[in-house]
Amino acid sequence: MKQRTMRILIPTGHLGTVPFKLDSFRRGMETGPDFVVADAGSSDPGPVFLGADIPLGFFERDDLEQMLVASRQQGIPMLVGSAGDSGANSRVDWFVSLIKELAQKHEIPRFKLGYFYSEVPKEYLMQKIQDGRSIDGLGGFPPLTMDEIEGTDRIVGVAGIHPFIKLLDMGADVIIGGRCGDIAFTAAPAIRAGFPEGLAYHMGKMLECASLCAEPFMGKETVIGTISEEDIKLTPYHPDQRCTVASAGAHSMYERESPFYEYALGGMLDMRECAFEQFDERTCRISGARWIPSAEMRVKIEGARKVGERYIGITAIRDPHLVQHVDEVIQWSRESVKENFGQTGYELHYHVFGKNGVLKDLEPVKEIRSHELCVVAEGVAANGELAERITDFATRMMFFVRIPGVKGTAGAAAFIEKRPMRATPSYVWSINHTVPVDDPMELFPVHLTEAGVGGA
Amino acid sequence: MTMTMTMSTRKLSQLAKTIRSKNAGVNQITFDIVFSDAETYEKVRRSGALTEQSVCRLYGIEPERISHFVEFDVINAIKFTIYRAKPNGSPGESDILGCQQYGPLMDVEVPWEYEEQHGIALNQ
Repeated sequence: MKQRTMRILIPTGHLGTVPFKLDSFRRGMETGPDFVVADAGSSDPGPVFLGADIPLGFFERDDLEQMLVASRQQGIPMLVGSAGDSGANSRVDWFVSLIKELAQKHEIPRFKLGYFYSEVPKEYLMQKIQDGRSIDGLGGFPPLTMDEIEGTDRIVGVAGIHPFIKLLDMGADVIIGGRCGDIAFTAAPAIRAGFPEGLAYHMGKMLECASLCAEPFMGKETVIGTISEEDIKLTPYHPDQRCTVASAGAHSMYERESPFYEYALGGMLDMRECAFEQFDERTCRISGARWIPSAEMRVKIEGARKVGERYIGITAIRDPHLVQHVDEVIQWSRESVKENFGQTGYELHYHVFGKNGVLKDLEPVKEIRSHELCVVAEGVAANGELAERITDFATRMMFFVRIPGVKGTAGAAAFIEKRPMRATPSYVWSINHTVPVDDPMELFPVHLTEAGVGGA
Repeated sequence: MTMTMTMSTRKLSQLAKTIRSKNAGVNQITFDIVFSDAETYEKVRRSGALTEQSVCRLYGIEPERISHFVEFDVINAIKFTIYRAKPNGSPGESDILGCQQYGPLMDVEVPWEYEEQHGIALNQ
């Protein structure tokens, strides 16, 4: 008897950043998968996208269009997580409107469109603290305080499998998720169909970045995961890619503190007993992951707080004397800013590329080995005008620097642009915590609507 | 003739199949070093070139900055995770994805094998 399986196709590791590749997508779709899924968000790009409520990419419409048309043609469900990067309510609404518009454009027969929100009201968190329930920090953050909640601009909860399962139960053909774990939208249909939770969550972990679980390194190519009662199998659809024990094993520990555990709403994935084996030339077989339900349900929450408006100014140095004395150049610029703008009310950072611009204090190479340096001044202040003036002044003072031994008397910095450039506003992660809940759905209200043309 | 034994070294970049870093949440960066075969992995592991202490020395950090250090035998990998100086995307932070922090690991010298060196001792 043929074993019962479910096949889930994922064409991209981050929907909308750059369009996913169509050849491997079409090749994968031709094999008739059961679900098409993708993750559209992450905390990786930083807090500004949540805080300022802006998208990261420019290709959301393109990716959604390809997924929608192909999945509706085959009549299989399409699940998208963390809409518009942050998964904030406006991002979900945006994706829902894109789906409706694309369904009209392609005259797709009427279908059910489900979505859920993830934003967390401040009052909800304050009430939790008042009720004596602790909101614990992750990754070294201290327990959450009333003040930090008050100062935060926007907060989302990270959903688990639950709203996806609920919407599938309600008959949704397409689901647009608010913020959720990147393993949730793959695990949800598999768990709903009765496959072992450990394998389902592990397949979610393996698939979330699509072709990054295969080798050689290629982004934006389609991979299909197949789950059975005993194992999961990963097969890439770019002809030159293979899922190997090494590539799958390495991806299993990607972006996580520990290779053995992954936490999600409602429990923990235990991967200590996992076995990886080469199933065929291009397919890796994985077994052994176990799901350990937790006694207490905790939802991860993310919040961003605005620091100010932000400008960056770019200068470059080629004079070998200035290169070797770049610390004094920056010191002079910084002191000049202080003299003119005072000590407080702004932040000013200098990034010295060619010295330690990427690693800062972690850089073990202490001497400067470059013949030229790029210095990026980053100015942050309460309003854009002040941020611009400070950043402009800091870069000009690099040009006018006064340190001994400079032979060039016409200017100590080269420019590609004389004015500082407006950057995205500056935000910090103010909330990176978990909050206890009584019901895994309590922060994720679901909605069902219709899209497409013609009768139901 | 005299014979002395000296230890030759290999750079980690010559030995590992994958060396990478990436965010693990908003306030940690995790580093993965994966080897193609168990033999190379074991040899690097036993060499002591990649330990919590050596990582602290390399990056100039205190042991408290390391939140996790593990040898992952199943796939011949060494993995460690550190706390960031500040969460990703904060003002002044310059590797938002944490994906270029592995650079210094490439040049780590791993003691590899004894080599015989023959020479004529002049003061015998």
